Amino acid sequence: MQPLLENLNALAAGLFLLTAFGIVAMRQARACLHLFIAQSLLLAASAALLALRFHSPHLFGVALVNFITKPVIVPWLLRRIAPAEIYTRREIDQVLNIPTALSIALALAIGAYFLGIPLMQALPPEYRGPNVPIGIAGLFLGAFTLTVRREALPLLLGLLAMENGAFLAGISVARDLPVLVELAIATDGLIIVFIVGVLVRAVEQHVGTTAVGELASLKEAAAQAEGDVTP
Amino acid sequence: MNVVVILLPPLVAAALACIPSGRRWWTPGVTLLSCLLVLVLAARLAWRIAAGTSVTAELGPGWSNWVMVDGLSALILLLIAVVATTAAIFSVGYMGHGERTPRRLRLYYANYNLFVFSMLAIPLLTEPTLVWIVVELTTLCSALLVSFENTHEALEAAWKYVVLSLMGAGFALFGFLLLFAAMHAGGAGPYTWTGLIAAAPTMPPLVAQTAFLVILIGLGTKVGLVPMHTWLPDAHSQAPSPVCALLSGIETTTILYVILRLFPVMQGVPGAHAETWALVLGLISVGTAALLLLQVTDYKRLFAFSTVEHMGIILAAVGLGTSASYGAMQQIVTHSVTKSFCFFAAGATLLAVGTRQIGSVRGLIRRAPAAGAALLLAGLAITGAPPLAVFLSEFAILRAGLVQRQYLVTSLLALFIVIAFFGVMLHVNRMVFGTAAGGQAEEDPPDETAALRFRLPLSCAIALLIAAIPVIVLGVYIPPPLDELLKQAAAALSR
Amino acid sequence: MSARIGFNLLQVLVVLAFAPLVSGVTSRLKEMVQSKRGPSIFQPYRDLRKLFHKDEIVSQDSSWIFRFTPYIVFVAPIFVALLIPVLTSYPLFFAFMGDMLGGGFVLALAGFFATLAAVDSANPYGPMGASRTRMVAFLAEPVFMIVFFTVSFVAGSTIPYIVQQKWVTPLANFFAPSHVLLVLAFILLILAEGGRIPVDNPTGHFELAMIDESKSLEYSGRGFALMKWGGQMKLFVLLCIFLNVLVTPWGLAAQQSLGAVLLAIPLVLFKIFCFVLLLVVIESSLAKLRLFRIVEFLGAAFITSVAAMIAQVFAA
Repeated sequence: MQPLLENLNALAAGLFLLTAFGIVAMRQARACLHLFIAQSLLLAASAALLALRFHSPHLFGVALVNFITKPVIVPWLLRRIAPAEIYTRREIDQVLNIPTALSIALALAIGAYFLGIPLMQALPPEYRGPNVPIGIAGLFLGAFTLTVRREALPLLLGLLAMENGAFLAGISVARDLPVLVELAIATDGLIIVFIVGVLVRAVEQHVGTTAVGELASLKEAAAQAEGDVTP
Repeated sequence: MNVVVILLPPLVAAALACIPSGRRWWTPGVTLLSCLLVLVLAARLAWRIAAGTSVTAELGPGWSNWVMVDGLSALILLLIAVVATTAAIFSVGYMGHGERTPRRLRLYYANYNLFVFSMLAIPLLTEPTLVWIVVELTTLCSALLVSFENTHEALEAAWKYVVLSLMGAGFALFGFLLLFAAMHAGGAGPYTWTGLIAAAPTMPPLVAQTAFLVILIGLGTKVGLVPMHTWLPDAHSQAPSPVCALLSGIETTTILYVILRLFPVMQGVPGAHAETWALVLGLISVGTAALLLLQVTDYKRLFAFSTVEHMGIILAAVGLGTSASYGAMQQIVTHSVTKSFCFFAAGATLLAVGTRQIGSVRGLIRRAPAAGAALLLAGLAITGAPPLAVFLSEFAILRAGLVQRQYLVTSLLALFIVIAFFGVMLHVNRMVFGTAAGGQAEEDPPDETAALRFRLPLSCAIALLIAAIPVIVLGVYIPPPLDELLKQAAAALSR
Repeated sequence: MSARIGFNLLQVLVVLAFAPLVSGVTSRLKEMVQSKRGPSIFQPYRDLRKLFHKDEIVSQDSSWIFRFTPYIVFVAPIFVALLIPVLTSYPLFFAFMGDMLGGGFVLALAGFFATLAAVDSANPYGPMGASRTRMVAFLAEPVFMIVFFTVSFVAGSTIPYIVQQKWVTPLANFFAPSHVLLVLAFILLILAEGGRIPVDNPTGHFELAMIDESKSLEYSGRGFALMKWGGQMKLFVLLCIFLNVLVTPWGLAAQQSLGAVLLAIPLVLFKIFCFVLLLVVIESSLAKLRLFRIVEFLGAAFITSVAAMIAQVFAA
């Protein structure tokens, strides 16, 4: 039973890594959302599997909270707050073309492994497992998504994916965090979605585009050409 | 009385500010009242801590795992209260000056109160992951404030701010979870700042060092350390001026406080070299900011780069070691009050001339004397001209550096401070006294000059006056209670 | 000893005989999914027999490559069939003559000659399809390499028989992340190398859009029959590598008796038909990718295989 649980947890972590790659590369915004939901489900599954393995009811709570907030509430909240147009966008031309972006993402994932393995060896043996390296990889890949994507929805999902990655690493090494803290972290994700949704709606209303990554007028040279700003 | 009560006034004010009422004074009045209450409570707390009572012990074991107040926390709380109050006074005039719908004003004041609430919670909490959550809350509460003007630039600035801050916070979350793991790997202990200090020798060194670095980079993004500072000039210049005062004056300082809490922990971990990292990052920030400052064309960005510079100075001072800790704490205090004054002056200038471009502003002293004088004082103060506040604290830091024989570091710091002085004063001088491009001062007939003069709103003038007092006073005299508080705060930086 | 040679030849015969059947079943199922009746599953046999009786027309401007290629395309999968486990789980006579990399290179050799022949005939559509086939093939090569390296790293050898014994041995390994990711990467690879949707449309007649079909545009009669049969055998061989080595190395003959080996034939065919079901579902639900997106498709396969390699090499 134990090796099967370990393998299933490793499988969930491996597929988590794959979804992180997908969020970097998928053109359609809606596909990114589906990948994010899959990633959150895998995070909840990993938490549940670790809970079974270590007989920790606390982790079951974490799994449940993650299962409810991210795959269910986040898409619902997005539909209420963000403008509907962000779902239909697809990036036709990217900052970096997709094979290059994927290669860099791969290098980042390998780097995350190089970072994670010494960390795991420094910790006691019961903390070992694929969660920490893949969590770090999820963190790096989320940050990378923020730099290469231009559309609003993939950028937001990159932010949330970073937190997913940090959390995936966290559930295997920081198992007894107080429940209040776990709940607060989950709620925090929801507040992020709320605020970013409102911001994207404001951008779409006043600037007219959802490609928020493209806004680049605040530089010294551009500022010279700007007119007066009334308070 | 329970310390947590200090959090209630801003929450209540935020709720009350959302209530639409016919009277114009309702939302600003509620906000001002709550800020004054917070100021009174924070001052009382700081007085008690400076007098030597330990507030945490009074709370009892149930609360003390979550809340702790010592010298450093009380100092930051006091600073938040002071700047929030003066910024609230300034907001009354500033926001009332333009044509804004009551609904927009309610949004502004509600967000303002929530922002103050989130900042107040950071020094109180002692469980690091909870602190992380509140740090994210500060970003989220201020995002809508930064984008308040709803122009292209403001929205872009808010977007960059949110994305970069949350990215840093994601890294910081990982760091805090790693720190938790390191602590539990060595043996249990409550996951609080004091618990961490006690558990430091038993933590696996590699994990603790990695956690520290990751947290430094992650939260350093929010503080504005180079090279993660790219959002700061945009966000801190596009926001409305009172919000800029809050952001530059206290928000970056509060996040820096969280980083500072880690230093006594890292002193117990062998091979961590936390001070070296702080010194290097601090110096890089100061240098880059001082050099970048020379080519700005927008005076609010000028002050924003100055924030980056001062954050670097504080971090470098912490990196210099325990003899410079007092100077670092003094710098925190003087920077907060001076920077908020700077942004009030910038706000008054913006109200007077209507543009943010340095090139378009000439001869401010003639058109708007109050704003011009304030801007001049602000420029002098923030770059460390004697006998104003920042000069004393920078002098203390440099002297501590010389005492420690860190000649290279001290000379670099002095060099960058001088570069920044010239950069800022060049621009400010031209703005305040300069003649319009193309020759002599205009010979306006007297009545036209009088008609061109700009009247600052009363509350803005009051805020400027109140904010100027500590800037001038702290340059010559540090009241003994404050001195005691600073000493206790400096002591919190070492084991 | 002679039993082993005999079984090896039996393997080749099985591949020869049943490859058209797999192709026929695939087409019939695809048509049935689209609510049509579809051709009989034995239709490919009839097509091959018809083609062998027809005359061959060869262009005057073509060289020996054109005449030679059908034989190479026909024989290459047979060579590979000698090397891989089709029916038995113990190594046969020719098993150590070449490993998986060698098998891959032999198949690539056939593809190379097919490309040359397409260019040789001076048909305008031939070189177009040939260049596209080359693009798909060279993008698929790294995926092959990484998959083979990963499994060989675990098994300690590149011989498919040995890999098969070590790869999925404890059942729990079936869910190991490296295994699942490799399976995903190899499925994408089969879709690319076999010329299936979403990479290429095997039933398309539009020459401008052909990728893999273009290699047999100019052929007629016996040459065409050999090219078709060779293509079908290539898919069969790929499926054998996939199913018998990587995914389900069960159902193969463990004893050296003829009965066990003959029993293995329907079991292997059953596994292949299960995969054909999956293939039909994929082909019926996706659309053909635009040409420049095939690069991203194969890039995704590459990433998946490297992720599998990372999960295997670093996490073990």
